[in-house]
Amino acid sequence: MTNLSIIDKLKRSKILDLLQEGKRIDGRALDESRPLVIDTGVIPHANGSARARLGDTEIVSGIKVQPDRPFPDMGDKGIFMCTAEILPLAHPSAETGPPQPPVIELARVVDRGIRESGMIDLSQFVLEKDKAVIGLFADCVVTDHDGNLFDACSYAAVAAIITSTVPKWEMKDDKPTLIEDQESPTPITTIPVSVTMGRIGEFIIVDPNLDEWECLDARITITTNSDGNIVALQKGGDDGFSVEQLVKCSELSIVSGKKIREIIKQATEGTQ
Amino acid sequence: MSQDQFVLPGDIIVTGDYQPEQNVILDGDRLMSTAIGFSEIKDDLVTVTPLTGLYIPKTDDLVVGKIVSHNALSWEVNINSYYPGILTASDIFGKDYSPSRDDLSLKLNTGDIVLARIANLGSRDPLITITGENLGKIDSGELVKISPAKIPRLTEKNGSMIQTIEESTNATITVGQNGLIILKCDNSAGLKKAIASVKMIGMIQYEVNIEDKIQNILDESN
Repeated sequence: MTNLSIIDKLKRSKILDLLQEGKRIDGRALDESRPLVIDTGVIPHANGSARARLGDTEIVSGIKVQPDRPFPDMGDKGIFMCTAEILPLAHPSAETGPPQPPVIELARVVDRGIRESGMIDLSQFVLEKDKAVIGLFADCVVTDHDGNLFDACSYAAVAAIITSTVPKWEMKDDKPTLIEDQESPTPITTIPVSVTMGRIGEFIIVDPNLDEWECLDARITITTNSDGNIVALQKGGDDGFSVEQLVKCSELSIVSGKKIREIIKQATEGTQ
Repeated sequence: MSQDQFVLPGDIIVTGDYQPEQNVILDGDRLMSTAIGFSEIKDDLVTVTPLTGLYIPKTDDLVVGKIVSHNALSWEVNINSYYPGILTASDIFGKDYSPSRDDLSLKLNTGDIVLARIANLGSRDPLITITGENLGKIDSGELVKISPAKIPRLTEKNGSMIQTIEESTNATITVGQNGLIILKCDNSAGLKKAIASVKMIGMIQYEVNIEDKIQNILDESN
């Protein structure tokens, strides 16, 4: 995503000048996320779905639940997998074709945040140990790209998972068989919230938009769970963070994550 | 249909002995729009001014472009068009340009903004030039993008609208025909008003009293 668009030098210098005054190009405070709007149930035939709009970035996420073979080393747990795709309509420079490394990174960061938080109790997804389990697949599609896809995808996927239901399967003749009209809510243990921060010079900004994204020296995505503990972390960009900056980012991710978790909770309340 | 009619693609603007111009095709004796916009009949010429769309290059047009890449012989410039503008190395280094001696990236780099003129429209991508008075790299200012279709609104009446904005805000406005406008102003309040005025022209779809609206913006808290 870093090479998705070329920012003109006039805008870059304006962003840097404004930061010196403690301002951002879109008028936000340095530690302020863009407005987040989440709609649920946007794909009627999916097991769960949500659309997240973070500023002008828009993601649609759909959940598919189906029986599968377990991973060889995790026979006592179900499967969770998250994928991501940027549609050509999302941005003029987005193309169809095999996913580019930034898109692969996007899917992996979102996947890791959800997986490592233990959001879904995968132990309840076992049909027969080492033989058959239930898999939950979250597909995120970027329909509008204005920067920080990590967080927007994460919010959409998390909201879609919360609203999803799991059909009932039973093992009959050694095969998983669907029991019609029996569904249960997906077992949720916590709500992971990812917060991406960027460093431009000595300034740390939360939720960079696309223009700011193009100016970042370094970025970090920190996912926290409902207890406010850090569960996943991804650092990107050519440069690094000092220890003080990392501590600041951790604190920002917890504070900002708490607010966003409330928005996700409100949007998904009573939807399962 | 009369003059200044809102038309959709496929709408018949007029029937009879007329010449199709921009965004109009002739179907038998019917003149049909190919774009969403406003039709205009001047003498026997029928045109449709589109409401949106990218810039269609015309020779001698002044454009503002962004350098997106370069190879050994030329820079590729985004001129907000269906085609990239090509700025040849010899335009800057002169006729004795040598790829082995001269480094293009030392003169213009990715992300740089240039004020250029469309030099030649051949069968391939349009050639642009930055040799000429006031042309070349832009180092400061604010870049505002509006639809190229709205540029005539900004420059109509011999640029009186621009003059009004410039006089009232002390800003300098350079209008690229491709919808990119560079505004420079020493005081930030003036710059803000000038940007708001230009953006307003870009936003308004079809109104007759633009001048009044612009004047309102300029008069605010004065």
